[in-house]
Amino acid sequence: MNDRNQENLKELLEQFMGSEQARMRLEDIERGEQILREHPAPEPDDMLLANIKAQIALHVLPHRATAFKWISYRVAAVAAAAIVLAAVWTSLFNEHTIPRSQQPVEYASVFPWDHHDSAVFNTRLEQIENDLQALEMGDEDVDNDSAITELEIKVTEIAGDFWKG
Amino acid sequence: MAESVDLAQIIVGCRKGDSQCFSQLVDMYASRCYGYFYRLTGNSDISDELLSELFVKLVEKIATYNGGSFESWLFKIATNIFHDFLRSKQRRKKLLEVRKGQLEAEFTEYKKSGDEQIDKLQIQLKRLDTDTRELIMLRFYSQLSFKEMAKMRSEPIGTTLAKLHRGLKKLREIMEG
Repeated sequence: MNDRNQENLKELLEQFMGSEQARMRLEDIERGEQILREHPAPEPDDMLLANIKAQIALHVLPHRATAFKWISYRVAAVAAAAIVLAAVWTSLFNEHTIPRSQQPVEYASVFPWDHHDSAVFNTRLEQIENDLQALEMGDEDVDNDSAITELEIKVTEIAGDFWKG
Repeated sequence: MAESVDLAQIIVGCRKGDSQCFSQLVDMYASRCYGYFYRLTGNSDISDELLSELFVKLVEKIATYNGGSFESWLFKIATNIFHDFLRSKQRRKKLLEVRKGQLEAEFTEYKKSGDEQIDKLQIQLKRLDTDTRELIMLRFYSQLSFKEMAKMRSEPIGTTLAKLHRGLKKLREIMEG
């Protein structure tokens, strides 16, 4: 898998220098490598190799377990999605089910007052809106100062009624 | 060629998580990788540790091997492990202490008996700078071509050639001198 055997070192060296210099360098390299061969490094202990193999076996198992877990999670996710889709499909297309639009809907009122009170407030608000429009239009019949004072009184009155409930 | 095919089949097995295939890789490369670590650290305990780390990394990273020279890929991991080891200050301190003790012991023994069995090469290798020593060991133990080594080290092939030549020449001089 490596291309060292195909490598011609002399040719490679000759790309950078003359033939004679390349020959000398090649000799230096070969002699240096010869020294390394003459002084081999110690071999790894058999016990060490056995330990490494055992360690690898332990490492490979969790990897496999992780892969299995990953596949299981994916299957579970797909199954859950299918169940949800089926449920949605059933609820939407089941003929016996009353369409949502026809179902009576009950809302709880968030307001503490009853409908009568709200009708009173609406009438007063309309009144105020009319007065405001008159002011904006610059209605000559309306005395501006007194209209504003009147408006303020009405607002204060409404606010008082509102907080009284 | 047959060896390449065998190796390719072993790698396929490893990628499938077959521990027997990993064991085969251990048998094929442990000796060379151990020699590489030993010549760089000069310590068998540390070399044991680094070799174990290398094969654990191999298991973790085998899925990232995308063909090409397996030796190049493997020794790249080995080189990174050695660099990590050097970077670790604590380990470095430990290495220096161990080396100091080792050299003292070797020197005493050498003075006593002139024993030829002492690893003279390991002592003389210390006189080379780390990068040169690493390059020489990479070339010798990985058996990579200059082209592959230059690519791995991200430097021009002429630079790799020149550095290796200088290093081996110096090693020859100090060993024969």
